[in-house]
Amino acid sequence: MPDMNKMKQDCPNKQECLQLLQSILDGEATAAQKETFMKQHLQECMPCYQNYHLEVAIRGLLKQKCSNEAPEELVNSIKEKVIKNLGC
Amino acid sequence: MEEEVVRNQYTDVQKQEIFDKEFMPHINAMYNFAYRLTLERDDAKDLLQDTYLKAYRFIDSFQQGTNAKAWLFRILKNSFINDYRKKSKEPSKVDYQEVEAYYNSEDVDRQITPDLRVESLTNMIGDEISNALNSLDVDFKTVIILCDLEGFKYEEMAKILDIPIGTVRSRLHRARNLLKEKLSEYAKSMGYKTA
Repeated sequence: MPDMNKMKQDCPNKQECLQLLQSILDGEATAAQKETFMKQHLQECMPCYQNYHLEVAIRGLLKQKCSNEAPEELVNSIKEKVIKNLGC
Repeated sequence: MEEEVVRNQYTDVQKQEIFDKEFMPHINAMYNFAYRLTLERDDAKDLLQDTYLKAYRFIDSFQQGTNAKAWLFRILKNSFINDYRKKSKEPSKVDYQEVEAYYNSEDVDRQITPDLRVESLTNMIGDEISNALNSLDVDFKTVIILCDLEGFKYEEMAKILDIPIGTVRSRLHRARNLLKEKLSEYAKSMGYKTA
C-alpha cells in the first residue's frame, strides 16, 4: 500500500499510462514494462493508482454480471441435430 | 488476413469427438456472445444453433490442436454480421467508419476521461454493468467481451475480427472509456459522487 500523502495528485501522461495499465492487465505488456509501472509509477501517482483499482473492479464486475449460460434445451437440440447429420 | 485452409478428412467418429470435446465446452461462452450481440434471446438461440451447425459442416477445415474457441467465435461473429445484422429490425444507424474516425481523433481521450470511483461500482449490484455493456456500439462491445470476459489475447482477437492488432488495442481502449462513461452516468443517476 503506497503512502497516499506522498503521491503525485496529477499525471501528465494519464491516457498513455491508462493504455499501458490495460496492456498489463490484459497480459500483453513486457515483464520490464510491468515491473516499472507496478513497482514504481503506481506507488507514486495517485490518478494511475486509482485507475488501476477501477480497471480491476470493472473487470471483476463484468465477469460477475455479464455471463449467461446457454439454455439446456438449446444445448440438447444442437447435439441432436449434429447426431442426425452424422447419419447423412 | 487470409489463412491457408487445410482440409482434413475426419471420420464420423473423429468428427463427433471433436464436436463433443473441442466445440461443446465453449457453448456457454458462445451463447453469451450471441446474446450480447443480438440482445434477443430467440435471435441468440438461432445464431448459436446456426454457428454450431456451420462449425460441424466445416469441421474438416478445423485443425486439431489449434484454438477451437477462437475458431468458433470467428464463425459466430461472421454469421452475425452476414445474417443477423442485415435482418435486424432496427439496423444500426451509426456508420462505423464515422464512429471509428471520431474515437480515433486526438482530443476524444481528453473529453472522455470519466471520473468514476471504485466505491460507486461496488454499489452496482443490479444490471447496470450489463446494460452499460449492451448499450455500446457492437464493435466496441465485442472487444470488451472477447478480452475481459473471454480472455482472448490481442493476437487472437485480431484473427477473430479480421483487424490489425493496433486496431484491437485502440478499439479496446476506447471501448473501455465508453463503458466507464456509461457507468459514470449510472453512478450519477444513483446519486453517487463520481469525483
